[in-house]
Amino acid sequence: MPLSRKIAYVDLSTGEIDIKPIPLAIRKKYLGGRGLDMYILYNHIKPGIDALGPENVICISAGILVATPSSASGRTHVAAKSPLTNFIGSTNMGGFFAAEMRFAGIDHLVVTGKSEKPVYIWIHDGEIEIRDATKLWGQGAQQTQQLVKDELNDREIQVLTIGQAGENLVRYANVMTLLKNAGGRTGMGAVMGSKNLKCVAARGTMDVKIAHPEQALEYNKKIVKEITSAKVSVTQGKLGTPMIWGATNSWGGVRTRNFRSNQFEYSDAIEPEAIDEHIIGWAGCFGCQVHCRGRYKIPSGPYKGVYGEGPEYTAQGAFCGEPGCDSMEALLTGNHLVNDYGMDVLEVGSMIAWAMELYEEGILTLEDTDGMDLKFGNEKALIEMVHKIAFREGLGDILAEGPLRAAQRVGKDSEKYLIHVKGMSNLHSDERATPGLALNIAVSSRGSDHLRGRPAIDLYGLPESVLREVYSQPVKYDGPLTSHWGDYEGKPWMVRWQETCYAAVDCTGICKYHTIFLGPNFPNFEEWSKLLYLNCDLEMTPKEIWDVGERCYNIERLFNIREGLTRKLDHLADRYYDEPTKGGVPAARERTIDRDKFEKMLDEYYEYHGWDKNGVPTKATLKSLGLDNEPTHTL
Amino acid sequence: MEDKKTTSERTAQGRSSGKFRCMNCMERIAPPAGAKQVKCEKCGFEWRISWLGPTFPRCRGPVWEVNRRLTEEALKERNK
Repeated sequence: MPLSRKIAYVDLSTGEIDIKPIPLAIRKKYLGGRGLDMYILYNHIKPGIDALGPENVICISAGILVATPSSASGRTHVAAKSPLTNFIGSTNMGGFFAAEMRFAGIDHLVVTGKSEKPVYIWIHDGEIEIRDATKLWGQGAQQTQQLVKDELNDREIQVLTIGQAGENLVRYANVMTLLKNAGGRTGMGAVMGSKNLKCVAARGTMDVKIAHPEQALEYNKKIVKEITSAKVSVTQGKLGTPMIWGATNSWGGVRTRNFRSNQFEYSDAIEPEAIDEHIIGWAGCFGCQVHCRGRYKIPSGPYKGVYGEGPEYTAQGAFCGEPGCDSMEALLTGNHLVNDYGMDVLEVGSMIAWAMELYEEGILTLEDTDGMDLKFGNEKALIEMVHKIAFREGLGDILAEGPLRAAQRVGKDSEKYLIHVKGMSNLHSDERATPGLALNIAVSSRGSDHLRGRPAIDLYGLPESVLREVYSQPVKYDGPLTSHWGDYEGKPWMVRWQETCYAAVDCTGICKYHTIFLGPNFPNFEEWSKLLYLNCDLEMTPKEIWDVGERCYNIERLFNIREGLTRKLDHLADRYYDEPTKGGVPAARERTIDRDKFEKMLDEYYEYHGWDKNGVPTKATLKSLGLDNEPTHTL
Repeated sequence: MEDKKTTSERTAQGRSSGKFRCMNCMERIAPPAGAKQVKCEKCGFEWRISWLGPTFPRCRGPVWEVNRRLTEEALKERNK
């Protein structure tokens, strides 16, 4: 049976391990990955607990299609209550870990409690052990993976680990695998650190049964052809995600020097083609043909010759646009360091840029920075701050707390310089000119985030007819849709549609870059319906898969409301409404988000989700999704 | 399993090659093969080009001075 799969519970306080089957009824409601994780969090986490306390629950999981012949089906999902936001913590990463965990017989791992000493969890062919990690504690992400493979004497082992930042409870510490695959948002690495859990290792030789293998392979070929022939994939395979930063910077959608500008002018030295000169090869994730991760050697400086992977769009933001540096050495070094220490590159860049602006405004002084001249453009200070955050030294200890707690400690009106939503920093893009993208980050269920509901194809200027093809299935929509990214009309539906699309694909374990995120002719609900049938023998219509995404998004909303989420928090930082943009093409210039129009978008967005004016799911909505009796504690 | 065309297949029919969109006015631009920069015929903005293949141009970035000047002129006009 393709869906005869297991979930494992590990209590680090008692050492108890319990392995159970996953009921089919739960599968049909949540599929796997993010959806099932959210069900577990809502059922197992008591409201108001300390996210860094032993009561927190961390889930590590594979989507239902992981390790099947489905293109790019290698995503690992990690979830817990977030120590950064106190809302839902959820992060989705590439690499090979989830596939290996499935080959080892486990689809979902649920870890509770806290170990007295550092440990790691070893999953192998249906067995689970808790092992001593004393020797691993204090090591970076790269060295940890090496040491585990050495100890277990198997090079094929996949390891999900934290670096020093997770051990030091940096509130935005990552979970890492391989050189740069990062579970990089909401501080899941800090949750692992708080449990004294250094890493999880997996190795398996068990089958993942495929329902209709020949047809599944044949159908996947069709999808692969579609994806690899698209211009966006070819570009991504040649330049990686920096191609997105380059394009966005060209018209003025890139956050620069905290929020002082929306374009990093004359940044040719760090544009994608310049990075490409340092790339020595390309790597990909499980089952993917695009290979969007560049591999490089740091060309100069104290880390000269060290291997790294990337950099990605977010690293360009963190080490170039945000601190106002156009140094290749700083970009490649910073990228390497955050990956080895295990920290969210996006949060690191945002926190340092915030501190730089505070320094230039005179709110932070040389005394606060231990004598460091923390002005924009100072690449040495930038790299020094990365070390200080990871080890919580000096000002780094404050910045390691994340936006809201850091502003509380600094005081002096410093909060107004933060660019965040719900306590999580924004992507290094500037959404003042793009109301649809602004709405997306304001309402995202894990705090400000582009990967939760960004209608990225809104930036392509697609004809309305194409937008209507995309956004009118699998549920009917005949409201407005406009081709220009600067408009307000029609965007609430696009955001709501994308949220459901991304939630659904996160339940399957397929990469978002193989969905409508990047192109209107990329797979969506219809393709996933076929993939679920061919691989898992699960007959679900596109609308039923839409409902899974919707269920997932609503249970996240319920979790957040239980933790204190209100409509007031579904908003942007004041600077979005008050400070006009200064860079970019004319359509991106002198733009702010109009408060009244934003409120109207928010009303519409809530209505499309079946939520009331306060953003609370109505009884009818919960009933229609089968959530009216949650928590049911079925699993 | 149904075999009708999916949304993805239907929208794929509108693909273009040898062109990229102007980052200012969204017009499709077809630069001459091997060109290093190109001017948008519709709005006059100029873009640097990189070539991912012989028929695959990519907008590498703005010609900064030109686009900055055109933007300032457009803003003056808009704010009159």
